[in-house]
Amino acid sequence: MIKSMLQRSFLLATLSAAPFAMAEVSVENGYARAVPPGQMNSASFMIINNSDASDIQLVSGSSSVAKVVELHTHTNENGVMKMRQVETITVPAEGSVALQPGGYHIMLIGLKTDLAEGGEIDLKLNFSDESSKLLTLPVKKVMGGMQGHHHKHH
Amino acid sequence: MKALRNLLLLTVFMLVGVAIAFYFRPQPVEQRIALGEQLGGDFTLQAENGPLRLEDYRGKVVLFFIGYASCPDICPTALAVASQGLKRLSQTEQQEVAGIFMSVDPKRDSPEKLAKYAGFFHPNFTGGTADRETIDKVVKQYGAFYRMVDLDGSAMGYAVDHSSRLYVINKEGKLAKALAHATNPDALAAEIRNLL
Repeated sequence: MIKSMLQRSFLLATLSAAPFAMAEVSVENGYARAVPPGQMNSASFMIINNSDASDIQLVSGSSSVAKVVELHTHTNENGVMKMRQVETITVPAEGSVALQPGGYHIMLIGLKTDLAEGGEIDLKLNFSDESSKLLTLPVKKVMGGMQGHHHKHH
Repeated sequence: MKALRNLLLLTVFMLVGVAIAFYFRPQPVEQRIALGEQLGGDFTLQAENGPLRLEDYRGKVVLFFIGYASCPDICPTALAVASQGLKRLSQTEQQEVAGIFMSVDPKRDSPEKLAKYAGFFHPNFTGGTADRETIDKVVKQYGAFYRMVDLDGSAMGYAVDHSSRLYVINKEGKLAKALAHATNPDALAAEIRNLL
């Protein structure tokens, strides 16, 4: 009885301590790409939604499966694919940004473990308003084609 | 009068220059093939079990892709599409098709790593690489392009900008098609079947 009361008050304390401003960013359809055993790098893709009235930037990430997590993008210039690191990925106000094959992606560099289909990874995303999101994403084999375009909001 | 003649001469030189530049302008591979230029041809790479020679693949349709294994997205997507296309075919048909992934990044990609990498997508796929001179020759033969780019501040160190076509080579070793990135698997399966 005392234990459950304690638990309840603890829960209440945790809830009231949570900042109210966390609800504006949501992530859907997130996954990490399954890679051949021994591969050093992989990438994670998702759609990030922002219900707030102002833009928000994804600024960094971290994961226990990779030494370094970086934000990258691809551009296709006359069939030549160029991958570049980007400092931030903007999620427009009341809009969304798609991180998808052929465009923005979250690079997982220096994998500490093989990313096999059916597994899961943890991924923490940090945003410009100092909020962060802790995600658990499935590891999937990517088989689809790329869409060839992505939301540009720079 | 002399000034006018000089001006005329200058104009002629300029026009010739423009014509030459136009003649030698880089053209998309598709256009070069359509114009009858013979791209493609044999090559020898270093693979896990020794030399990988395209000429040893006569009698098979070969899907050929040029990239690098630390490529996080474009190369795996291309190989995944190739593998999906291949899986649209019957078992017997699949036995007449092979995939070759050539890495332009031998510093990071050993033949062993490439074998594992390519085989992950389809058991009929294999990978190889070569010395810089050979790589450049094959890249030129196939009208491809790559360039190492330093990624300042990135743990990647460097990336490779590269063209992203999937080359379909017929049973006689001739380049039949250069497909744009991420062609849908059905279209690829149809291309392959045409050549079987």
